[in-house]
Amino acid sequence: RRPQRKYFAMARRYDSRTTIFSPEGRLYQVEYAMESISNSGSAIGILSKEGIILATEKKVISKLLDTGAVGCRREKMYKLDDHVACAVAGLTADANILINKARLAAQQYLFTYQESMPVEQLVRRLCDVKQGYTQFGGMRPFGVSFLYAGWDEENGYQLYHSDPSGNYAGWKAHAIGANHQQAQNILNQDYKDDETFGLREAMKLALKVLMKTMDSTSLTSDKVEMSAVKYDAESQQVYFSYVTEEELEPLVSEVNEEGKAKDSTS
Amino acid sequence: LAYMSILEYNGGAVLAMVGKNCVAIASDTRFGIQHQTVSTDFSKVFRITDKTFVGFPGLASDTQTMLNKLKFRIKLYSLDEDREMEPKIVSNLLQTLLYEKRFGPFFVEPVVAGLDKNNKPFISAMDLIGAPLLAEDFVLSGTASEAMYGMCETLYRPDLEPEDLFEVVSQCLLSSVNRDALSGWGAVVHVITADGITSRVLKGRQ
Repeated sequence: RRPQRKYFAMARRYDSRTTIFSPEGRLYQVEYAMESISNSGSAIGILSKEGIILATEKKVISKLLDTGAVGCRREKMYKLDDHVACAVAGLTADANILINKARLAAQQYLFTYQESMPVEQLVRRLCDVKQGYTQFGGMRPFGVSFLYAGWDEENGYQLYHSDPSGNYAGWKAHAIGANHQQAQNILNQDYKDDETFGLREAMKLALKVLMKTMDSTSLTSDKVEMSAVKYDAESQQVYFSYVTEEELEPLVSEVNEEGKAKDSTS
Repeated sequence: LAYMSILEYNGGAVLAMVGKNCVAIASDTRFGIQHQTVSTDFSKVFRITDKTFVGFPGLASDTQTMLNKLKFRIKLYSLDEDREMEPKIVSNLLQTLLYEKRFGPFFVEPVVAGLDKNNKPFISAMDLIGAPLLAEDFVLSGTASEAMYGMCETLYRPDLEPEDLFEVVSQCLLSSVNRDALSGWGAVVHVITADGITSRVLKGRQ
């Protein structure tokens, strides 16, 4: 006798709607959100002892795009405070809401404690918001994954990833967005956790990964946006800067060369 | 001890003046509790953006709090708009922040001085509930205000070069605070030009 069968069949009608468990204990909406992110432009984050690199694939490229307007200059990467920046994969509109919350949280902490908000605490604050949308309210989760790159005095350079479920973890290198599994594999193989791995090596590795995962056959600097988070011990300040096209060009050429060399030997 | 107004509890004076393509802002450096002087390096003027300074003379606690509130708002503005806040907008924001506490105000009477994005000088002052004063020549605030008005009206002339502006501002401030028991004990003068900021510390009558 299997009376539970009918019960399960009824429950299935509701469990893909909002924040309810499925019989197997899954949250379908959260999973669907992650699915939506896998279709968006990729973002890579790589930690090195000299700083953190964030690299993103520019999905929206059109000569009609007004690059002077503020909104268009920032599609994937945002500064949250002087010492933390993030890269986005997923629905940009959803990301904007969370980014505003993060910026506000960072300033409120600074106002109260007269000290920059520790990176993990900022991540956790955002994740708690995201988690709320998986448990109550009946609203869909945020369709965004973030890579946070920051520095604080307690823990130095940190790279975190958070997803629509509100889960987060610290990483040495991580990829999100389109082809992130493939990107993650390459990072796994080529990331070096030692003294020789500086900022430049991190930049090249990021470009190499993007080259493999992007649709185009060869990488050009106009399709990539890259930024660095660096702490300068002398001035005791964290600097967030975009890597300019001039700085990217030689690295792109090097990576392309090395790629061709490898292809011809293998 | 009795005091006329809570704005006179700590004492202090701030002055800002427009020169030729430059502005100067100065404050005394006394921090006192009524008649007792507690510190002689408490400047009431702070740099809040690249080319804008604000002075908060009045109750010292509110000096610090208003500064922190202002820095909070300026940071959010620059992250959101991806540009620096112009001095005129800083002034407008301060007016709003002050009026929000209309029936329980912050006891500061701010002075704003800076160069806008075209390096044109801007100065303004306001009362503790945000009533603005936009002037072309000079603005001032604090416990030595009457003396400062007299000095500035006499010594001011338009289009002073940065070096001369420094001299005029220093003389106006020093002479005025020397006659005020609650202000003085040193001064700091910042001169802002398109090329940069020159800050000098003055030693006054002890």
